[in-house]
Amino acid sequence: MYTKEELFKAISTVIDPEVGFNLVEMGLIYDAECDEEGKAKVTMTLSTKACPLHQMIVQWVKESVEKLDGIQEVEVDLVWEPEWNITMADDHVKKALGGG
Amino acid sequence: MFSISQDFAPPFKLISPFFILGSLFYLFSSCYIFFIDASSLTTLDTGVLGFVHLFLLGFVMMVIFGAMAQLVPVVLEVGHFGVELFYAIWPLLLIGTLLMVAGFVALPALLPYGGVVVLISMMIFVMEIFLTISKVKKLNMVMSSVLISNTFLFFGIIVGLVMALAYAGTIDADIASLLRAHVYLVIAGYISVTIMGLSVVLLPMFGLSHGFSMKPLEVALYGMGSSVVLVVLSSFLKFAFLEYAGYALAIVSLFIYFYLVLSIYKTRARKENDIYVVSLIFSYISLVISLLMGIVYFITSYEPILLAIGWLMFVGYFGFLITGHIYKIIPFLVWFERFSPLVGKQKVPMLVDMVPIKSSSAQFIFCAAGVSLVCVAILLQNDMLLKAGASFLVVGAVAFFRSVLYMINFK
Repeated sequence: MYTKEELFKAISTVIDPEVGFNLVEMGLIYDAECDEEGKAKVTMTLSTKACPLHQMIVQWVKESVEKLDGIQEVEVDLVWEPEWNITMADDHVKKALGGG
Repeated sequence: MFSISQDFAPPFKLISPFFILGSLFYLFSSCYIFFIDASSLTTLDTGVLGFVHLFLLGFVMMVIFGAMAQLVPVVLEVGHFGVELFYAIWPLLLIGTLLMVAGFVALPALLPYGGVVVLISMMIFVMEIFLTISKVKKLNMVMSSVLISNTFLFFGIIVGLVMALAYAGTIDADIASLLRAHVYLVIAGYISVTIMGLSVVLLPMFGLSHGFSMKPLEVALYGMGSSVVLVVLSSFLKFAFLEYAGYALAIVSLFIYFYLVLSIYKTRARKENDIYVVSLIFSYISLVISLLMGIVYFITSYEPILLAIGWLMFVGYFGFLITGHIYKIIPFLVWFERFSPLVGKQKVPMLVDMVPIKSSSAQFIFCAAGVSLVCVAILLQNDMLLKAGASFLVVGAVAFFRSVLYMINFK
């Protein structure tokens, strides 16, 4: 129903308020898929397990996909493997943060 | 859609009094320095003790307790046992601190009363933390540090209570020995161990650091814990070797901890040097200088060095570590309460937008200058330099108070 790119585009509206970049360009969204019945699944991580916005960010991701037409159900799978690191972020993010 | 758990973010109205009062006490402590005479400073001078309690209880403990209301669930990954208890902690700590400081400055009869009120507030805090920890199924190293530090605080409170009773004449006890155990349990056992444990969560979280080893934390925690046990035992067994072995172990443990902080700093992805980072750099430089001075004090036993170590540890290390983190914690809490419900509906500010650049910079510059000048003044026992340092600190503390109010009232 929706391609991975389309789902990533929808999720890119979610911004981490601490660093000011969206979750996709931070490299925090590992995968996204959607079947013909409108059931979407997003696999993502966070930059730290201790993130106090943990539950909120997961909810924002869910809501961002739910806004797409025809989406019936969204499952967000929060994983810690592979562990996130800055090399997973887009080049402009690394540059802005000073790491690349 | 699922509901958002509030477990990880207690209501801001519960935490804000801790930060407002803490920043006010930071200002009061800075003003207090004007009433200290540098030429006659000793570690047991009641004026010095008044300052120490004003700063450590009013600012350090007040802010740590408030921050723990938010950080404990983050670190322990469970909700508080009874977060509402924090509504009782700050008024008791406020009243107790004021009574104790009044006791040191003018009315010694108030000391035991102030001490008991402070101890009640701390006991409520410790019990709440213990009951929260009891909900954790498996403790990791950071969670263990919270357990260790609060256990030391618990015993520090018990010793403090015995001291208060001895002051009041209710019981007969050697106050000098109890004092050493009390000070070491609270400062080295609670404050230092808490900082060690929380910093491996907070520093990598804000710096986006990855790939550093946690082994130094383990070594530093065990070392610091053993050091506290040795010094406390020496207070009761009158065995000087234990005491000095404890101090030496504390210095080594803090150097190992500093190595850990350095490795977190080197592996960070965020390279910007904002107010948080520069505050932490000043804080850890103060720590290293005070540790080096500790070695010099071992050799010389020159009392002004001991006082300067205390100054740098408390106001340089603890002080800047706390003010730096306040520029992260308050914006987060305010943002969570005020702006997170608006996400996706309207444009919301980033956390960095909520930090006042001018007043935070002024706070850093003036306080850093003040801390440095006062340190030199203590070493040289120069009263004019002390007052000059106090002047810088007061200006910095006003800027800090202004920053706190700005962040709390950000709309």
